[in-house]
Amino acid sequence: MVTLWLWLFSFFFLLGLLCTLAFQLMCLVDLEYDYINPYDSASRINRVVLPEFIAQGALCFFFLLTGNWLTFVFSLPYLCYNVRLYMERRHLVDVTEIYNQLRWEKKQRFLKIGYVILLVFLSLFWLLSSISVEDE
Amino acid sequence: MGTENPGRQQFPPARPVATPFSVAPPQNMMPFSSSGPVVGSEASGFRPIPPGAPQPMVPSSTHVVGSQASGFRPSPITRFSDPSVPSPPTANVPPIAGQFQRFPAPHFPSTVQAPLSHAPPIGQPLAQPPAPPVSFRPRPQIPPVPMGSPPQTVNPAVPSLSAPYSSSDSMYQAPRPNFQSSFPGYVRMQSNADSQAPPIPPPFPTHQGGYASSAPPPSSYPYLAQPGGYVPHPPVAAPLGMQSRDQMQHFGSGPPSGSIQGLMEDFSSLSIASVPGSIDPGIDSKSLPRPLEGDVEPKLLAEMYPMNCDPRYLRLTTSAIPSSQSLSSRWHLPLGAIICPLAEAPDGEEVPVVNFTSTGIIRCRRCRTYVNPFVTFTDSGRKWRCNICSLLNDVPGEYFAHLDASGIRIDLDQRPELTKGSVEFVAPTEYMMRPPMPPVYFFLIDVSISAVRSGMIEIVAQTIRSCLDELPGFPRTQIGFATFDSAIHFYNMKSSLTQPQMMVVSDLDDIFVPLPDDLLVNLSESRSVVEAFLDSLPSMFNDNANVESAFGPALKAAFMVMNQLGGKLLIFQNTLPSLGVGRLKLRGDDLRVYGTDKENMLRLPEDPFYKQMAAELTKYQISVNVYALSDKYTDIASLGTLAKYTGGQVYYYPSFQSAIHGEKLRNELTRDLTRETAWEAVMRIRCGKGVRFSSYHGNFMLRSTDLMALPAVDCDKAYAAQLSLEDTLLTTPTVYFQVALLYTASCGERRIRVHTAAAPVVADLGEMYRQADCGAIVSLFSRLAIEKTLSHKLEDARNSLQLRIVKALKEYRNLYAVQHRLGGRMIYPESLKFLPLYGLALCRSKPLRGGYADASLDERCSAGYTMVALPVKKLLKLLYPSFIRLDEYLLKASAQVDDLKRLPLAAENLDARGLYLYDDGFRFVIWFGRALSPDIAMNLLGADFAAELLKVNLKERDKEMSRKLMSTLEKFRESDRSYYQQCHLVRQGEQPIEGFLLLSNLVEDQMGGSNGYVDWLLQIHRQVQQNA
Repeated sequence: MVTLWLWLFSFFFLLGLLCTLAFQLMCLVDLEYDYINPYDSASRINRVVLPEFIAQGALCFFFLLTGNWLTFVFSLPYLCYNVRLYMERRHLVDVTEIYNQLRWEKKQRFLKIGYVILLVFLSLFWLLSSISVEDE
Repeated sequence: MGTENPGRQQFPPARPVATPFSVAPPQNMMPFSSSGPVVGSEASGFRPIPPGAPQPMVPSSTHVVGSQASGFRPSPITRFSDPSVPSPPTANVPPIAGQFQRFPAPHFPSTVQAPLSHAPPIGQPLAQPPAPPVSFRPRPQIPPVPMGSPPQTVNPAVPSLSAPYSSSDSMYQAPRPNFQSSFPGYVRMQSNADSQAPPIPPPFPTHQGGYASSAPPPSSYPYLAQPGGYVPHPPVAAPLGMQSRDQMQHFGSGPPSGSIQGLMEDFSSLSIASVPGSIDPGIDSKSLPRPLEGDVEPKLLAEMYPMNCDPRYLRLTTSAIPSSQSLSSRWHLPLGAIICPLAEAPDGEEVPVVNFTSTGIIRCRRCRTYVNPFVTFTDSGRKWRCNICSLLNDVPGEYFAHLDASGIRIDLDQRPELTKGSVEFVAPTEYMMRPPMPPVYFFLIDVSISAVRSGMIEIVAQTIRSCLDELPGFPRTQIGFATFDSAIHFYNMKSSLTQPQMMVVSDLDDIFVPLPDDLLVNLSESRSVVEAFLDSLPSMFNDNANVESAFGPALKAAFMVMNQLGGKLLIFQNTLPSLGVGRLKLRGDDLRVYGTDKENMLRLPEDPFYKQMAAELTKYQISVNVYALSDKYTDIASLGTLAKYTGGQVYYYPSFQSAIHGEKLRNELTRDLTRETAWEAVMRIRCGKGVRFSSYHGNFMLRSTDLMALPAVDCDKAYAAQLSLEDTLLTTPTVYFQVALLYTASCGERRIRVHTAAAPVVADLGEMYRQADCGAIVSLFSRLAIEKTLSHKLEDARNSLQLRIVKALKEYRNLYAVQHRLGGRMIYPESLKFLPLYGLALCRSKPLRGGYADASLDERCSAGYTMVALPVKKLLKLLYPSFIRLDEYLLKASAQVDDLKRLPLAAENLDARGLYLYDDGFRFVIWFGRALSPDIAMNLLGADFAAELLKVNLKERDKEMSRKLMSTLEKFRESDRSYYQQCHLVRQGEQPIEGFLLLSNLVEDQMGGSNGYVDWLLQIHRQVQQNA
């Protein structure tokens, strides 16, 4: 039973992560099609960047604590990447250059979304396998 | 290449042409269907001819000229067999020439005579044949001429030719010159390319004009065409070989396959192979191409589309737009435009102002294009078709006018918007988000101890005071001041006061503005208070010993004062910001960082505060001009960001001393305050389907994907944009561009300045190269390279620049070299002959040069911020400054300024007995040779002539020579007032000043690790040949 709860917890975390990424992507696409101005777009994105990073870090820690080595290792590169961005102070989008960076920012977020979806599947697999083990 | 503008040509295709061309129909049709038959025909004519008989092609080209004659085809062949042609093996080269002459003979009889009224010519050609062969022989031997000027080399051959001609009618003689000039081109090619006849053909067309026998017909032809509006022809008349060649290609370009030959060789070549037995690299450095005439604006496009806006407003990197993505990817140079929307127009060419009071501004419903000369009216004047999206729009009732028989509006002459490429519309209220703002000037002045000591405050106060009368926008102009050191001082200048009131805010963490109004006041109302303030400002802080600078908080405060209105914020900064937000570290220039991945971080703003502030400032229509005057490191990289994203400018005066640099600051500040400025502007460039502008470069901020926000613009700012093509093929023969700048004029009127230009679409790479505009390419390159230094190492930026030049030349070489067997020669399009040199100059320019020791970080950054905003002419002058010898000119009383000749920028031109002037548009350097006659030095410097020149100020003395020099300098300054050229004096051998002021800027010399011109060319040539 504990496994299920743990899994549910991580699942919602992942879902939340997915949502923030999708939101950022939406802002960028809106910007591209001129539905919002760069100031609003940048401030909206920047508002959720840190929460996203923290959530991801917490998730990693959680995986570590619960002994899901595989998923932990799998989400480690993502964490490292985020930490690097943060250290280089490139984690926030830059209003002034947002149009020149648009393509890169979008690509980066697409990749992140793909990565998180992969994680969801991986954790699903973990759930199933652990449940089947319990059943035995 | 379908150049013509369908709308314009009313002319039916030239008559005679039609018949002859029927033979080679396809090509003609496309390009010049209506107007250009003459030229176009040539190209087409060539193709059909089988490769086996290359020379025939040549004739065909001539035909073009004489296109009237239908019988051409056959004749060429016969010619070949002609006895005149020398023995076969050698024949290749000679034949070419031979044909040349020969050709006229056969032709004329058969073809020319009939159609043309010029019967006389026929006789001549006959006479010629004998002579030509003889003359031709020698030609092959003629050494390849450097690209420079063809005419001279030709000479040997020419005389012989001319002889026969001379015998003929006098009228024919005139044309001859052309012949000669064009010839040189031939000569070169032939000498290199043994067998290829094809090259020859190209010249022919050019000749047409000049060719004695055939000449008359061609010339007459073009003229016919012109009336229709086809501009290109006139050039034919031009004698210069080079030009003519260019033109021809222009015309000749058709489908790629045929065109390559047809186009022919308008390229130039340079022999680089070393001569056996000599150590010398084989280049005569004197003959290398140099832009000693300065920037030459491309004329071709303006001739083709006379209604285009002037190139001073809009310059395309190539006037021939590629029709497909694959083609544009083979053009390795940037594809784009340089736009200077408010460029200063000479008297009489001002942009007309149009006021559509009743109808509203006429724009396309769908793409919002403004009405322009290229739109067409149909349906007896009730509809107009947008030239950019081809949508049919209704003509509003008040704007209706009948069309005449040829479909032209009868009121055309009263409608500048339908005849001029540049117009200004008065914008109604729909174009305003708020009432038009008044011109606002706010001054933020550093009053810390170093500012006081340098004398900056005094000069600034005096200059502002002297400009009060000339500030634009009287009587609405608003003005305000704040000063700062470790606190911020505001000044209440309410008109009812007699003396300004100073208010000090020293809480830097929580900035507030002490008064809601009265910090920014109407100048005409508070004039006396403002004057009182400016008079007392220098003395107010005389004893200030404060070394701190609360720049960030002061900037925020200024922002709070201004954000109601927007306007221009002028910041005078003398110390590194040290207090409050935005404080900067002395991160300085670290030798160890150069060459590592972190190098570019030095050139980026250190604190995100500056970018955020810049974004906020733009949002509220505030433009920042930064005057940095420190003698120490001030982190221009950070401060300049403010100017970069707000459409401003960075002025940098290293180690400012009022005695030395005062004049420069005074002049540049005056210019900044008094030049016509456009406020709260936005700019958008529209273009036809299939192309779009994908990136923009310059000092501004993008507000949406294609809308540039420019809080303030003036005539000294230019912007670059890069074009990209969409996946689909461009099917229209012409692409239109329209730049629209919506702004508030100083007088309070909202206006839209619209520049429209058309450019032909081509399917041929050679054509793109032929129509390239070197100045625009270099401008765009410099912006790209400088931007690259912000994210990469300097070296990477230089390498990528070099790589692109190499790729472009390689591609060009692949187009031509094989057919012409140009083996060891370097070939490049005539239009890009200066590209390698400018590329070198760019790599040696301050923002890109060398490494740590070659320029201080602040200088690099400020030059970078300046260069990305410079108009083309100014930038080219900075890259390849003029360098002039003055002593002889000064000694000779009769010598005129116009006689001064620019010299190549190489130390070998420095004569120890001479006096030289180096002028890059930003400063003068006057170099005194060691053996310069003491007379001159005495006359110019008076008693100071023996002193250390660095400390001497050149001023007018009571000597004829001194007056002459000063008036000459003044004349140079007058030609462009955007920056003031301060005069630096240096004596030969005075190190290190000499090296730093002059020697390091002689771009053709080898310096440190970088190449000289000759080595650079060799290097590029070698790279072009690798795997070529």
